[in-house]
Amino acid sequence: MSGQGQVSFRNIVKMHGEFAALKGVNFDIKPGEFFALLGPSGSGKSTTLRILAGLDAPTAGRVLIDDKDVTSTDARDRDIAMVFQSYALYPHMTVAENIAFPLEMAKLPKAEIAPAVRDAARKVKIDHLLDRKPGQLSGGQQQRCALARAIVRKARLFLLDEPLSNLDAKLRLETRAELKKLQRSLGVTAVYVTHDQEEAMTLADRMAVFMSGEIQQVGTPAEVFARPNSIDIAGFIGNPPMNLIPARYVDGDVIVAGHRLKTTSTAAGERDVVVGLRPGALRMTEGGLGARVDLIEDLGDTAVFDLDCAGTMIRMRVSDGNIPGEGDTISISARPQDIHLFDPATRMRL
Amino acid sequence: MATTAVTSAGIASEAPRSDFGRVLAQRERRFAAALLAPAFLALMATTTFPLLFLVYTSTFRMDLAMPFTNGFVGFENYQVLLSDERFWTSLLVSLVYTGSTVALQVVIGLALALLVMDMKRGQGWFRVIAILPVVLSPAVVGMIWRTFMLAPEFGIVDFLAINAGLGSKNWLGDPTLAMVSVIAIHTWQWTPFAFMVLLASLASLPEDIYEAARLDRASAWQRFRRITLPLLRPAIVMVIIMRTMVALTAFAAIFTVTAGGPGTATEILNLYAYRKSFTELSIGYGSALAVALLIVTIVISGILFAMRRAK
Repeated sequence: MSGQGQVSFRNIVKMHGEFAALKGVNFDIKPGEFFALLGPSGSGKSTTLRILAGLDAPTAGRVLIDDKDVTSTDARDRDIAMVFQSYALYPHMTVAENIAFPLEMAKLPKAEIAPAVRDAARKVKIDHLLDRKPGQLSGGQQQRCALARAIVRKARLFLLDEPLSNLDAKLRLETRAELKKLQRSLGVTAVYVTHDQEEAMTLADRMAVFMSGEIQQVGTPAEVFARPNSIDIAGFIGNPPMNLIPARYVDGDVIVAGHRLKTTSTAAGERDVVVGLRPGALRMTEGGLGARVDLIEDLGDTAVFDLDCAGTMIRMRVSDGNIPGEGDTISISARPQDIHLFDPATRMRL
Repeated sequence: MATTAVTSAGIASEAPRSDFGRVLAQRERRFAAALLAPAFLALMATTTFPLLFLVYTSTFRMDLAMPFTNGFVGFENYQVLLSDERFWTSLLVSLVYTGSTVALQVVIGLALALLVMDMKRGQGWFRVIAILPVVLSPAVVGMIWRTFMLAPEFGIVDFLAINAGLGSKNWLGDPTLAMVSVIAIHTWQWTPFAFMVLLASLASLPEDIYEAARLDRASAWQRFRRITLPLLRPAIVMVIIMRTMVALTAFAAIFTVTAGGPGTATEILNLYAYRKSFTELSIGYGSALAVALLIVTIVISGILFAMRRAK
């Protein structure tokens, strides 16, 4: 690696006229990390990546790579490789010429380029397609060609902008696993933009969750899943997402649909809260919250129930095969440590 | 039993349907032919027939000044032509004129297109102003240049030359300057065409490959050489082909500015054929010259088209 690949964003703001695409973004990426920028469309994650790449300039704030301020450095001087969502292959060049292009620009001797191109192509399994033009490749092969062009140069930072979104479902799963292995074997810092929480959860060492131009949480996928910072993240992460139910907090308990559930909180007093319950954390027990089974989606190894708890819709996931019938009434509860509490006004975790 | 009935009924209805389809297709074809006919006949009458008649005329001696010598001479006109020094000179003038003006049109047109692509505002205005020379008649353009631009002392170009310390030049009287002038005039009128085509082509190039090239550390010049130019190649070749065909057969502008002069300095093949036919009234030999021009145009276009297919 030509550099360490450490990245810091300091109060990055990006305005498009009156509209703030980024409202002061801060994060740090450690060298060698697989870092995901996750968020719904329009949340600012791609803008962040483009600012990191140097393709767009921030309105305010500083970008540091390996402790050097690169805010006003042009993209071509940042030593960054990127895989575009559209792949951005050069249509008039063959696969080999596409992969060789960054090396030619770096003025590498011809004798070194050819083996490097073959090596990169072999890593992504397209070494049999080197003489083809991009137009003669399938979507998956184009994507691999773009990957090869990015890894051939051994840049200090490797950016990926939704690289899997144009692939079909099966290919996406395969490539996802390969991508992770590739990044591990290269030991390069990777920044990965996606709106697919499953991709971020499976690939990333750490991730930043974007919501309307701001980062709401940075952490490992497990941390973000276990302790979402806000109602928005809680509703975005997990499949099916967390149940978010307006409820009343009374001296350590919450009252959901007329039933008292114990929480880990010991604070005294009364207030309105939003209770978060992961579908997978709900249990069928005696003497719990009564619920009528409206609909069952049986996925084979797991089943997802739509439950009606006195007018409140709750989703529950069961994987032990103990499936009631639709229309049955069951009794559910959750352990105190599985109950998340949020402030309905600030939408943040309590 | 029921099945057979259904099947036979099916076949029975099938036959007339396909017959109906054939009749319909035939009617369609006849209608298409009827629509095509007027344009086809008009084209035949105005282009193909005169062309064939030209070839026919070129095999005759047809001297309006000496009608008593007229008659069929076969290829004699062409034999004369091959040893006619003025023919070779005019051919050379044609090639120099065409080569320089087409090269200038493409280079200036491309430079303008690249410049305008980077303009944030005023692109629309630029396009409108740029297209103006194209819509003018070449004869009018010739008149404008001869009077407003190149007239000694009063013309804008001469005025600028005087002020630049070059002194007043005889722009249309000096053989070399006259050639430069007619090339400049043709280039001035037709560069906007190259500009418009190349600008449209440039605008259709995807933005993301330029971003990829920037990240691949290509400089602006490398991006132009390695990406823009190869991707514009089809458009550039098309512009060269179209402009070459027109430049080879240019007439009106040169005719109004220099009429081929001084002497034969700007006498392109087309003008020579015109002068032979309508000034010297040798229609037969003039026709042979015109046919020669036709052959030259076809050969050069053929070469250009072959080059276009080559890659």
